[in-house]
Amino acid sequence: MTDRELANLAIEALAPRIQSGALSPVELMDALLARIEGHDDQVKSFVCLAGDARAQAERAEKAIKAGGYKGPLHGVPIAVKDNYATADMPTLAGTDEPIAGLESDSHAVSRLREAGAIIIGKTNMHQFAWGNETPPTRNPWDLDAVPGGSSGGSGAAIAAGFVPAALGSDTGGSIRIPASVCGTVGIKPTFGRVGRSGIVPHSWSLDTAGPLAATVADAAVITEVLSGGDDDDPASAGDLAADFTSALNAPVGDLRIGICRNHFFDGLETDVGDLVMAAIAELAKLGAKTVEFEVPNLQYGLASIFAIELASSTAWHDQAVADGTTAGYAADVRTLVEVGRFVTAPDYLKAEQLRRALIDDVARCFAEVDVIVGPTTPLTAWKIGQRTVRIGEIDESVLAASWRLTYPWNLVGIPAISLCCGFDGRGLPVGLQIAAPAFREADLFRLAHAYEASQDWKGIRAGL
Amino acid sequence: MAKTDLIRDVFGITLPAERVADNLEAYAEILKEIEKLRALNLKDIHPAVVFKPNTDHLAAADD
Repeated sequence: MTDRELANLAIEALAPRIQSGALSPVELMDALLARIEGHDDQVKSFVCLAGDARAQAERAEKAIKAGGYKGPLHGVPIAVKDNYATADMPTLAGTDEPIAGLESDSHAVSRLREAGAIIIGKTNMHQFAWGNETPPTRNPWDLDAVPGGSSGGSGAAIAAGFVPAALGSDTGGSIRIPASVCGTVGIKPTFGRVGRSGIVPHSWSLDTAGPLAATVADAAVITEVLSGGDDDDPASAGDLAADFTSALNAPVGDLRIGICRNHFFDGLETDVGDLVMAAIAELAKLGAKTVEFEVPNLQYGLASIFAIELASSTAWHDQAVADGTTAGYAADVRTLVEVGRFVTAPDYLKAEQLRRALIDDVARCFAEVDVIVGPTTPLTAWKIGQRTVRIGEIDESVLAASWRLTYPWNLVGIPAISLCCGFDGRGLPVGLQIAAPAFREADLFRLAHAYEASQDWKGIRAGL
Repeated sequence: MAKTDLIRDVFGITLPAERVADNLEAYAEILKEIEKLRALNLKDIHPAVVFKPNTDHLAAADD
């Protein structure tokens, strides 16, 4: 097997080889480091590599040989978005300086290390998770296009075949958008499912930690490992059951597929709409029943998330605004951090009232359906520097369009996964989004896995 | 006190006047969305923020 073939294997293929001794974690690490060294000057997905990555792989190999195999992540290199604190690498969150107070491992990183994963390095992100482009990272499917964001480095690193999986964080779509435009899998778990202590906050009631991965089964394994109580995260839901893998291959004929006809199917690029409808037809062929409905109040969701996200972000950065530090931020981020001052307290509370209405509206829909399926993004990867996209007869800001279909599920707090459902006329991946009721990730993984197995592009990477 | 200074005080803005003007311009598009929210009558809906007093002492008393 060549280094490139090895680097393109998903965890579900790597783990049995590592467990049996057929594949050495050191051999795998060397292959990935060689790919990163050979190609990341084009992609710019990593901001830091662990200096002792190979030594960690040697330790993993020794432990496994001695009978201490820990599970499917043991000896597997995983990258981490640069807003997760790591004891062995600085945390910059897209800035030029390490963020103070983040010198020990974050909760999620600790769980990965306990499961035997090797944190190979930190991936680039849109500064302070406040944007969907992640400069200067490029999309491996088209090096002139953005990788999405804010976890763009994580999506690009997987698409490039540098790592099989990476951590991201999702406040309005920051895991699912890069997953969609980079052709990977990405899941935003239920709010509270994964502990967030040690992650640079962006918006306390929206921020969600989760993985991006090459396949649905890989994302399920990692989410299982990440799930659990975090005493230092006030929003942690505690130690809830988290078995996402044992029923992955179960039939999906019992699932009722919801199609929300308002909001989620408005203003789509033609190829995106066609491929998502083809995916829904495929799910119906697998036996799932489809149900169409509308959710009220979605047209107010953008105001609600803007008010909450802007006010929260400005509160967190308040001291930096006061002492002038924000002048050193990226121009787009500086503006967003500063304009949160204009969100009044009544605006904020009305946003939280609207959020409650939306939570209840969606809960009523889930009485009739088990999952809600639609596109992840209305457009595929846009060009670096492109400001607007023409969809039908309307020119829309790419930034406004890119999170239009993801932020509703952050407001509601429910889990949502993105996976590839084909490629547009330019050869760029299109994302299918599946959402489920709170803490029903198992249904979501089961359906996504069944769909993925019915297609040819499972685990596909860009041809760098 | 000039009106602009008063506005800066009310909003707690410490930025220079020209920066405030730039930010107001940037906020105009967002404000259009927030105005839709302001027009809604939501008075019977409790916000998704729920306050809870600290009850650790009750748990301690039970031990």
